[in-house]
Amino acid sequence: MAVVDRGASGQGSSLSEIVNDERYRSVFYQILVFAVVMWAGWYLFTNTAHNLEARGMSAGFGFLNSTAGFSISFSIIPYEAGDSYLWVYLVGITNTLLLSFISIIAATILGFFIGVLRLSKNWLVAQLASWYVEILRNTPLLLQILFWYLAVFAILPRPKQSFDVLGLGLFELNNRGFYFPAPVPGEFFGATMLTLLAAVIAAYAVAVWAKKRQNATGERFPAFWTGIGIIIGAPLLVFLATGSPLEWDIPELKGFNFQGGGSVPPAFCAVFIALVIYHACYIAEMVRAGILSVSHGQTEASYSLGLKPGLTLRLVIIPQAMRAIVPPLISNWMNVVKNSSLAIAVGFPDLVAVFMQTSLNQSGHAIEIVAMVMLFYMTVSLSISGALNYYNKLVQLKER
Amino acid sequence: MANLDASSSDVTFKPKPSLPPPPNTVGAIGWIRKNLFSSPLNAFLTILSLYVIWVLVSNVFEWAILNAVWEAETRRECLDKVGLAGACWAGVTHWMKNFIYGRYPDAEVWRINLGFGILILWMAPFWFPRVTGKIAIGASAILISPFLLGYLFAGGEKGLFLQLMISIAITAFIFSWLHVLVCLSSGSTLRNVIVSATGFAAKPDNVQKYPVIALFVVLAVVVFALQGGWQLEEQNTNLWGGLFVTLVISGIGIAVSLPAGIVLALGRRSKMPIIRVFCVAFIELFRSVPLITVLFMAVTMVPLFLPEAINPVKIVQAIIAVCIFSSAYMAETVRGGLQAIPKGQYEAAQALGLSYWKMMTLIVMPQALKLMIPNIVGSFIGLLKDTTLVSIVGLYDLLLMLKAVSQNPQWNGIHTEPLFFGAVLYFVLCFIMSKYSQHLERTLGAGQVRK
Repeated sequence: MAVVDRGASGQGSSLSEIVNDERYRSVFYQILVFAVVMWAGWYLFTNTAHNLEARGMSAGFGFLNSTAGFSISFSIIPYEAGDSYLWVYLVGITNTLLLSFISIIAATILGFFIGVLRLSKNWLVAQLASWYVEILRNTPLLLQILFWYLAVFAILPRPKQSFDVLGLGLFELNNRGFYFPAPVPGEFFGATMLTLLAAVIAAYAVAVWAKKRQNATGERFPAFWTGIGIIIGAPLLVFLATGSPLEWDIPELKGFNFQGGGSVPPAFCAVFIALVIYHACYIAEMVRAGILSVSHGQTEASYSLGLKPGLTLRLVIIPQAMRAIVPPLISNWMNVVKNSSLAIAVGFPDLVAVFMQTSLNQSGHAIEIVAMVMLFYMTVSLSISGALNYYNKLVQLKER
Repeated sequence: MANLDASSSDVTFKPKPSLPPPPNTVGAIGWIRKNLFSSPLNAFLTILSLYVIWVLVSNVFEWAILNAVWEAETRRECLDKVGLAGACWAGVTHWMKNFIYGRYPDAEVWRINLGFGILILWMAPFWFPRVTGKIAIGASAILISPFLLGYLFAGGEKGLFLQLMISIAITAFIFSWLHVLVCLSSGSTLRNVIVSATGFAAKPDNVQKYPVIALFVVLAVVVFALQGGWQLEEQNTNLWGGLFVTLVISGIGIAVSLPAGIVLALGRRSKMPIIRVFCVAFIELFRSVPLITVLFMAVTMVPLFLPEAINPVKIVQAIIAVCIFSSAYMAETVRGGLQAIPKGQYEAAQALGLSYWKMMTLIVMPQALKLMIPNIVGSFIGLLKDTTLVSIVGLYDLLLMLKAVSQNPQWNGIHTEPLFFGAVLYFVLCFIMSKYSQHLERTLGAGQVRK
């Protein structure tokens, strides 16, 4: 209405001119929206300040240094009751990242596998894969997590009757969790790791050189197999030369439970399996759509150039399909990170469970804690979408 | 040679009838050979798949049907009969009422049934091809029906405003259905019938609407007077539960997120920088965090944000969170549809001198919404699945009800059966919706396909 008032002070004809001028209108609407948002923000802020005062609470991040008096059942960085809330935050982040990271890798592998099965020429295999996708995609993830946890992992036998996965006596599954051998690096193990790093760089260099040479002369070089050879061979040689400085700590049944080795709790296994098979459905659909998006003419053109089916797949189909697969794939990875927060339902201590639930209940600093948790997820998703935009620019069709 | 030439001149070439195709390339056998056993690898895969299917189906069949116990009073009874080899469906049938209505009192359950019945009837005209004015009916169903349904579900004291809104809702429902019946029987519209019955047909167009409005007002006043003494017993929201709560939360989420998503998407594509910044910030913030953090935010921060006098119940907090979250996602769906409209359409609308809102409502949105419908249904499926998360903040939706059975002393430890039942229920709901969206995609996209 401010615009109308300003116009009224001028002459009659200029009033309608100003009211109907799109530029003034747009300024007016923007001021209006800005004012409404600011007013709403101010209203919420004063209410919050009043409520905090009434409850005798103080705002601020000072509580992060005070000690958290609870224990956390699983952490990959050392934690004990009495560490600070800031450390709890870091424990939560590392747990979330660990769970999401291995879920993403497994879901991607399974998803590609099922996506290829869905395109199989074998009718039965394609149907089986498509029903896998339909059934798992149309049931809520949380229900699946609870199912795996309550109906599978919670009724596993006690440690004494552990289920021996693979039958090697190395991997044990029982109602306390999943136990696996943990590597114990010896004195010179660092040398092997350094060699591995050097080998990866060398393999990459060989690949670049091979491509350059092929572009220049047309001669092909088995860069892939050479690279694999370098990456496996060189570290193995160093490893053996330094006297195999790596031992495995194998879990053993002592008393009522397994000792030694590494372990993850049943809740971790349940969330991991549910996340993998749920997200694999979506990835399978993306892979299928991506491969179908490459027109059949491409295959025919490549055959007519004399490329074999294997090379056609590797050099013609996959590079073009990846352009359609990668963007939704990466946003699906982001969903895995977000959905890993459902671990709270079965008591796995991820970021939301340890920080947004336990710490919030204990300290009562709702606003700060909610802001910190959201900040973490936003950082992850913004950095992933940044990487995605970069990739998109890289593989975009270069049109002339 | 000459002899041969002469004889061949009067014999026309008559090919033998072609042989039938080899029997193993046509019919069922041919199909099987081609699709299941075309190579040794495929044969192996077929046999492997058959084995997998056999193992799955036989085990599930044995557990769920062959060895199942359908009638028992406690889980112990089931365990004594079959142990863990068979499902204890008694645990599901015994709690079926709770799965659907929560702890709503048995004597009042008719209110929930009536409410959903009204809503279904209100939406039904969408599937009648001969009915006109579907947008008005749909808008009234989304905007006005919540007052009536909300009162049916919650009950209690109704103020003057609520009584007025309920009257309007009932009147609108009656009008909608009268209109539908007129459309179906005579192909005319309710408006035309009223206008000709009251003798306004000869009057100019802008006067013709008055008898319709008058009739609506009269009917609303009658309904208002009639329902003055009518009051339902109050049902506290913590008695609500089961599928009922799931549908209420996702229904409100759907009804709010679609218009809010359209507004946010338009704001994001707007040329006004301040509006665009706000919309982008809102969308990106809530799309980058998990729903569970938004729910926790609503549960812990909404009481802090509001004056002390207002203390919303938990279901309202959860609904706020679900609405915010799904609006942000819906905005991106709508944006995708808007981006698919060629720029020429915008330019043509502007060249005709249409204003922004006319351009959007008459030219862009009808085309964009049509493109978006499959994706919108997809978001609804996502929303229905996501409402299970409200169980984490302690609302007794379907999932938490399913989980709660095992805490009953008599049914202690019964997890698999209720969860299996819930999975089937969710699957059926979502699967129907997704098939329907594929059907829509085919029928709506028919005009787009170039032949």
